[in-house]
Amino acid sequence: MSHPPLHRVKYNPRIAHASITAIVSLWSVIMQPATVYSRDRCITGIHGMDEILRGGIPYGSTVLASGTCGSGKTTFGMEFLVRGAQAGEACAHFTATEPSVKLLENIRQFAFFDMNMVDSGLINVFDMDVLYSWLGLDKASFDLDDVHALIKAIVDIVNTIGVTRLVIDSVTTLCYKIKSEQLIRDFLFTLGKKLATLGCTTILISEITSATQNAHWSSFGVEEAIADGIIVMGDVERMGHLLRFLQVVKMRGTAHSRAKHAIELTPLGVMLTPMLKWGAVSDKTSRWGS
Amino acid sequence: MFELDQRIAEQLTEVSLNSSVQVRFGNSNSFMVTASTMIPLMQMFEMGGVYICATRGAVEIIEAFEAIGVDVSNIQFIDLVSSGILGGTDVPYDNITFVDSPIMLESVLLRTLYILRISTNERNFVLIDAVNSLAIYNEERMLAEYLHTFINTFRQREILSIILNVPDQVPPAVLSNLDLYCTDLIDRGQVVIH
Repeated sequence: MSHPPLHRVKYNPRIAHASITAIVSLWSVIMQPATVYSRDRCITGIHGMDEILRGGIPYGSTVLASGTCGSGKTTFGMEFLVRGAQAGEACAHFTATEPSVKLLENIRQFAFFDMNMVDSGLINVFDMDVLYSWLGLDKASFDLDDVHALIKAIVDIVNTIGVTRLVIDSVTTLCYKIKSEQLIRDFLFTLGKKLATLGCTTILISEITSATQNAHWSSFGVEEAIADGIIVMGDVERMGHLLRFLQVVKMRGTAHSRAKHAIELTPLGVMLTPMLKWGAVSDKTSRWGS
Repeated sequence: MFELDQRIAEQLTEVSLNSSVQVRFGNSNSFMVTASTMIPLMQMFEMGGVYICATRGAVEIIEAFEAIGVDVSNIQFIDLVSSGILGGTDVPYDNITFVDSPIMLESVLLRTLYILRISTNERNFVLIDAVNSLAIYNEERMLAEYLHTFINTFRQREILSIILNVPDQVPPAVLSNLDLYCTDLIDRGQVVIH
């Protein structure tokens, strides 16, 4: 096969231009970033929280909010519901640690809370004790059937009201009645799955005794494996003073900050700021120390 | 007759809302310099603000301003001193909030942000009185980190920050960091006695 000599191939500007255009188009297709899929978010509305979560909690997630006593878990949970109610969402709060009347009395001192949200049915507060009575679960420990009845009752309430934000305070108190770890795991997994199907974003409040690095993030050690997200709340002890902190340890479906943030419970709600790096660890002699 | 340092007011005309001003004074002229800084901001520039009291209790400062005929009811005070004294928080002013200790630096920042959130003033300042008092309780590195965060937080929000200090009582590393972070310096650190 004979090729024409190189000097006989004439340069044609039109062909050259077309070729360059084609290469540029092909290159731009290759180099175009792939469309990044982003899950819809449940905007918490809590000052600084959505920034930490890069936009909010992915819709339908079950998030474990674990914390020591007095770390602000209940206020955090209630503000999450209030911000949802302000956006017109139906919200539910299941209280197992204190009667609903007492809970509402305590939360009324915060300016962010408006009792009209409860009166108008945007925030629905349920006493777990009352729910147990309805279901005939007035016993010390729950078996498999009882657990299924409880799940069904919670899911029915969520479904009937159209709840999109749910708080269970606390899952620790609730799980004390479930004696086996396997059953606790089944309960939380099934509940989380059913609520996610209904598009409900859930915060399970969990009580822990220490929020240190070596501690479990939950009371029974199984809740943390089931949850889509874990938010830890606790105290850093600095020269005899306790500073509240919040840290997002895990949140499936979103990038997020994993830094410790100092929190303050103000009348306007929870406020967050990154904790000072040189003061983020408790004094070594402290029982909170890590 | 209380005499203000007019040169401070002149210097303040050159700063903008996102500035951070380091004000140095000595032990003997502290109130004169503080008043000479605060009064132009309140009266000439019609600013509201937050006064963080780490050196003396807020009541003492309010009374000192009242004694020279200056109304500071438009200023919110965060008192880091009085909670350390039992009965110190029982005060007749409603523009004072208390933080348990100068150790709780993040709480001071959050409380300041909260006050500014509910403030109706268009233009605000935050004033720390003073870094040397915070240095008594806080470790050098943490204090330097805090001032870095504090200044940048308010600069970003276009809130003027005023940092008072007595330079010979501030750890050198903190002082040199302040020189780096602050945009302006009002130096009344060396008092000339006539």
